[in-house]
Amino acid sequence: MYRYDEFDAAFVRQRTEQFADQVRRRISGELNEDQFRPLRLMNGLYLQLHAYMLRVAVPYGTLSSKQLRRLAEIARKYDRGYGHFTTRQNIQFNWPRLNDVPKILAELADVEMHAIQTSGNCIRNVTTDQFAGAAADEIIDPRPIAEIIRQWSSLHPEFTFLPRKFKIAITGAPQDRAAVKFHDIGLMAKTGPNGEIGWTVYVGGGLGRTPMVAKQIRDFVDHEHLLAYLEAILRVYNRYGRRDNKYKARIKILVHEAGIDTIRDQVEEEFAAMKDGILKLPQEELDRITAYFAAPAFKEVEQKTIDLPKLKITDPAFARFIERNTHPHFRDGYVSVTVSMKPIGGTPGDATDIQMEAIADLAEKYSFDELRVSHEQNLVLPHVALDDLRAVYEGLVDIDLAEGNTGLITDIISCPGLDYCALATARSIPIAKSISQKFSAPERQEQIGDLKIKISGCINACGHHHVGHIGILGLDRKGVENYQITVGGDASEDAAVGSILGAGIAGDDVPDAIEKLVDLYIEKRESADETFIAAFRRLGEAPFKEALYGTR
Amino acid sequence: MALASSNLAEAKAPRASDLEIVALNGMFDERDTLGVIRYALEELLPGEPLAVVSSFGADSAVLLHHIAQVDPHKEVLFLETGKHFAETLEYVETIKQRFGLTNIRFLEPDAADLKRFDPHGTLWDTDPDSCCHIRKTEPLKGALDQYAGWITGRRRHQTQERGVLPHFELTSDVRIKVNPLAYWTYEDVKAYKAEHDLPEHPLVQHGYRSIGCAPCTSATREGEDPRAGRWRGLNKAECGIHFDFNGQIASPAAKLENRTLFKSGRFIADPFHVWGEGDAPETSAYVHVPLAIWQENRDAFIAADHPIGLLIEPGDDFEAIAEDFDRFASIAVAFPKFTDGRGYSYARLLRERYGFTGELRATGDILTDQVPFLRRCGFDALTVTNEATKKALENDALAEVSVYLQPVGSRGEAPVGTRPFLRRADQ
Repeated sequence: MYRYDEFDAAFVRQRTEQFADQVRRRISGELNEDQFRPLRLMNGLYLQLHAYMLRVAVPYGTLSSKQLRRLAEIARKYDRGYGHFTTRQNIQFNWPRLNDVPKILAELADVEMHAIQTSGNCIRNVTTDQFAGAAADEIIDPRPIAEIIRQWSSLHPEFTFLPRKFKIAITGAPQDRAAVKFHDIGLMAKTGPNGEIGWTVYVGGGLGRTPMVAKQIRDFVDHEHLLAYLEAILRVYNRYGRRDNKYKARIKILVHEAGIDTIRDQVEEEFAAMKDGILKLPQEELDRITAYFAAPAFKEVEQKTIDLPKLKITDPAFARFIERNTHPHFRDGYVSVTVSMKPIGGTPGDATDIQMEAIADLAEKYSFDELRVSHEQNLVLPHVALDDLRAVYEGLVDIDLAEGNTGLITDIISCPGLDYCALATARSIPIAKSISQKFSAPERQEQIGDLKIKISGCINACGHHHVGHIGILGLDRKGVENYQITVGGDASEDAAVGSILGAGIAGDDVPDAIEKLVDLYIEKRESADETFIAAFRRLGEAPFKEALYGTR
Repeated sequence: MALASSNLAEAKAPRASDLEIVALNGMFDERDTLGVIRYALEELLPGEPLAVVSSFGADSAVLLHHIAQVDPHKEVLFLETGKHFAETLEYVETIKQRFGLTNIRFLEPDAADLKRFDPHGTLWDTDPDSCCHIRKTEPLKGALDQYAGWITGRRRHQTQERGVLPHFELTSDVRIKVNPLAYWTYEDVKAYKAEHDLPEHPLVQHGYRSIGCAPCTSATREGEDPRAGRWRGLNKAECGIHFDFNGQIASPAAKLENRTLFKSGRFIADPFHVWGEGDAPETSAYVHVPLAIWQENRDAFIAADHPIGLLIEPGDDFEAIAEDFDRFASIAVAFPKFTDGRGYSYARLLRERYGFTGELRATGDILTDQVPFLRRCGFDALTVTNEATKKALENDALAEVSVYLQPVGSRGEAPVGTRPFLRRADQ
């Protein structure tokens, strides 16, 4: 994993000092809230419903044990003993006090972390596949390029006051686990005509109030020219993106209004002018960064397979854990383990200080000190030997995070909603909890199979409801919380935006409504192998609508 | 003594209060010129020297003769504006020899300023205030930074504005200005010159009684004020270097307000104004012309050949006039709101793609934290409306991140500030 050199360290330290000074000016009254707002927003500090919220970047979702321990410590010292992992692979602290924030940032800087560009109209944290550098199906490890993009975009002088925020996602595997087509720029690894690896570039995807699937802007760009190509896109966006209406300012609207062909021409023109300029990435630099991400020194593993059928009888919970929470690794005898932060009835993505520390210990002992945060709000131990799987499992049982539910109906994505967020129009967390409880029985979850439920507490869609197989959007209807149900969304390489089934329903009715949809699927599916989303594609939305609202 | 010199030395900031200055002014007899000079050079601020500045003009010999009596090795500053009469330069040499002055220092204008604002050497004609500014005010300011104040040869009888000039003044930037000849009349000067057989400036015999730069000095007629030949026909009596004195005598406030342009680390007077009522392509100079006005009147502007600038607003298709960029001494990019970041892209395009090398200024609502970004994108001047930013610039209180993780390729970006692979030789 990437390690700061003296250069990065100086960068983050100076930035931390700069912000400490701004906080001091705010507290002394030299700055009023209006003046302070743009400054704090550039450092990930929001003012929420009840308190400040600090969003800390986890670059492309990669953490070391030491870093996770530090996050635990901060949660204990400066917050109320927990943190919240987000769909942007970041972590949020919900209760920091303003005058503690400089101390928090300094403590983060000690472990090579920061909150730079976790808010504001700039290039946000680059996200990627949580199994990057471990997945069996990977064409290339996207982390070195993600790190290079992180460096290029950090305090970029030209792109810190864009029309709106800008999100880049990158995946090195054909199976898209990073939802790249729902980002402002999505990069997908591709093997070029001569066997060289480069990137297919998508632009203009996004969720929010106008969900759009990104369009392909370029079929192939090699590593050497990637930064110049990104800079060309950003420049076109910075110059021509709408600034008259905040809700129409994302690049997806520019692409939609001008047309992908026009934007492509503008970007190509810009690219042609700077293609061979200062941003050309030398192979030596790519090699230098790639070296940081070298595979760990895997050991010779005794156990090459696991006898699941047998285990299902002798230890069904462990068998479920293996079946759901492990992901194929490129190395024989290894898997990546998802630590589900979705215990039954829990708050999706929340972790206590004790849990974080325990997971950090497991990572240190069993996963070469490495951890990942997934955009689905789970943690990942990327390199676990099959020999160690039981030890990891037992370690997770001890902290109540051994639920074998990854990708199942209780593995719900949820934004913080009206419990915390100043923008929210309805609560999300209680809805997630009640669905989780309703479907708590493992057998029931297993019967249903792969099903992604995603909940947002307002149309800004932080909970990705548009791309949930079942999506739930909380709205405010004349002062009453009201939930709209969508079906058929998909964040994967088969990207799709869900269809709204009909009028919103009351919060208390949501779990029953979900059950109706699930029952219909089970009744109509061709076999247990046909997933919910596959069945939806075959059946269309009509039967689901009918299941929810009856025939009219 | 009313004022112990050691007290002054201890109280460096401010060096002296208005009250102390009033006390100083009571210390010396009006005609005790040598006493004032001795006190100023030897006792007033021990360890903090005062400068001597001379124009080597019609009456300069009087002060220099006194200085030579106190200390012939004292440094004497002379503003070599590049526009002096040949006779003046000759006169400098004569005085030097006759009085035994050993340390005359010539202060020259900044070459980059000349190139930018006065490429043809005609600025005195189009905008004499700006000409004085770059040829006198700026060079003198640079030299005076090393001094706690300066000694001048001004006299209260020279102009109406100088009518109440005292021996000692406190300037608005807490420097001391000493005027040993403050009470001398024209007749006193004449008598002293005769008594000591001081050499006369060669132009005096041709009717010049106050001598500055050649283009802006003319001879005076019988009965005219001796300084009437300076900037004849213009409502201008001072070049700018003497404006900044005690508020009771002149009005330094007006001058300070003019210092709205932040450049090279400090606020200076802005030679430019924004296009408005009364401006015309044929006559206006030192004006930032909006893109549309330039496009409509391009031929007239080019025919007039005045130094002008271009104003770019967000959304302007400025690249349409790319071939004209090198005609502008300055390009101003407007930032009507700090959140509108289009200007950053414009600046990089101007610098990196179109090779614009003139002054590139950002103007408008700018936050302190944006200044480093602006600089990195190629801006080298600011006219800021945001009060907090102004204050931070004045106090040099910009918190800055000095290393950066990406290059922008603009001229002047220090190649050492970034990653090894991104470092380039400075072009």
